[in-house]
Amino acid sequence: MKQLGSSCAVIGMGRSICKRGEPEKKTPLQLMVEAAGLAMKEAGINRTQVGALFTGRMPRTYCSLQYNQTVLNELKIVPTFCTEVTAHGAGALGTIELAILALNSGMIDYALCVCGEASPLWIEMVEGSANWEADLQFEGPYGATTPSLYAMCAQRYMHEYGITPAQLARVAVENRKWALDHPHAAMRRRGPITVDDVLSSKMIASPMRMLDCATWFPGGIGSAAIVTRAELAKGREKAPFYVAGFGQCSTHEWIGERMGFWGVDPVKDGPNLVRTGASVAAKQAYTMSGLSPKDVDLVQTSAPFTFANVLMLEELGFCGVGEGGAFVESGGVDYDGGLPFNTTGGYLSFGQSGQGLYLLKEVADQIAGQPEGRPVPDAKIGMVHGHGGPNACHSVMLVSGEQLQ
Amino acid sequence: MDWSQGQPLRVGDMFLGLYQPSPETTGFWEGVKRHELLLKVCNSCGKLHHPRRILCSGCGESGLGWTRSSGKGKVYAFSEIHRSAGVFSKSTPYVVGIAELEEGVHLFSRFMARNNADVQIDRPVDVDFQVLEQGFLLPVFKLREE
Repeated sequence: MKQLGSSCAVIGMGRSICKRGEPEKKTPLQLMVEAAGLAMKEAGINRTQVGALFTGRMPRTYCSLQYNQTVLNELKIVPTFCTEVTAHGAGALGTIELAILALNSGMIDYALCVCGEASPLWIEMVEGSANWEADLQFEGPYGATTPSLYAMCAQRYMHEYGITPAQLARVAVENRKWALDHPHAAMRRRGPITVDDVLSSKMIASPMRMLDCATWFPGGIGSAAIVTRAELAKGREKAPFYVAGFGQCSTHEWIGERMGFWGVDPVKDGPNLVRTGASVAAKQAYTMSGLSPKDVDLVQTSAPFTFANVLMLEELGFCGVGEGGAFVESGGVDYDGGLPFNTTGGYLSFGQSGQGLYLLKEVADQIAGQPEGRPVPDAKIGMVHGHGGPNACHSVMLVSGEQLQ
Repeated sequence: MDWSQGQPLRVGDMFLGLYQPSPETTGFWEGVKRHELLLKVCNSCGKLHHPRRILCSGCGESGLGWTRSSGKGKVYAFSEIHRSAGVFSKSTPYVVGIAELEEGVHLFSRFMARNNADVQIDRPVDVDFQVLEQGFLLPVFKLREE
């Protein structure tokens, strides 16, 4: 596994955004191909050089079977390896992970990875999303809502480890501070919030309140990356960044079924609702890269609720199991002086936009010293965590401005 | 009705969506009509499973049959929903969660109590059968009153 570490680099990224209220409303396909074009331009390669195309899950608002073919059709590229990569939201980083495996095989030289979604522009998100992550047969008819599925995990997490609502609220407060600096964050004009604001916000699905929950990104984002082997990344106009290590782990499709198996990490000792594949994915990424949590200068997670953010700090190795609440409470992710955590504002305050590579782009921009929001001084190593399904699928990626090893 | 053909996609008064109920779960919903809570059981090793299971995770066999649960269990996890959608909106706040049956199988369900605040982790519950908002007869769990 170690030979994969730093074997490949991203030599170009592109991102296209369309916000609600803009005169021209764009589809995910438009955003994704625009992003792909920008990524190819930045990488300095043309459409005849794209050896592989990997797309994320088909967007909810542009349904077509073999979505990868729809994207290919628009880009007029002729890859020799082309497929969708779907592990819910974890599939976004999965496109890059698969690209690295293909590049290491030597079959291709350049892979194009494209993801995107624009749901809030085209569908009513609350009604349309209520049952989105529920089992239609065994959960949906009970009136399950997406927050309620996560809320059960939050409740068990708090119950088993003595985590308090005020500790969880702290992460929302700190994330909001980063969002105020970011030009695209959903909550950038809403001002700072306090722990009391979170604890007095409207109950959504106990124990989670409104400000414990992610906000939808008010629009759509397409994002794309060109990945190549390290030796082909050298001597380019734009400095590349290297994928130092990565890992992925999926455990289930429906949360009600999480309790139906054990005997393997992350549910080695018996069924539980709390521990996730993120710990397995992170372990893989650290092993592959030779890095450890203390080497990481900034972290982006796609955790959509306060408890999930705190839990991820444990799973990704930044504090011990069950210590997430105390870690956050003692300033572990403080905007001033803590681990730079969700530097766009995160899902809680930047907003959730389906699956995408925009968090990877934030890390790349920070490492390059050109972030859109508040810079993390001297950032060299960044971590991106992608997640999807109700705590079901997790990808972890460690990136570096320098080639390691 | 010949469920083996996977058609029609309707059990009694119930139509749940694009693919369901499917042949491997129709036995469960037929049981619900008789007010019986059924679980999958492996004919080979005896392991009990969620009604969805096709393959036994204990021994890998695919010959799963049905066995009746006592319907007794306890609250494993729950959430009181204050914001919902569609026909469920008018019922808020209501409590969903995972019941841990005494046979060891966990089921997502609705918890019924005189007072929602009494629903707590580890509180004993018993199965009941009620028609919920969408008009389907479903197994739910009532708090065992002390």
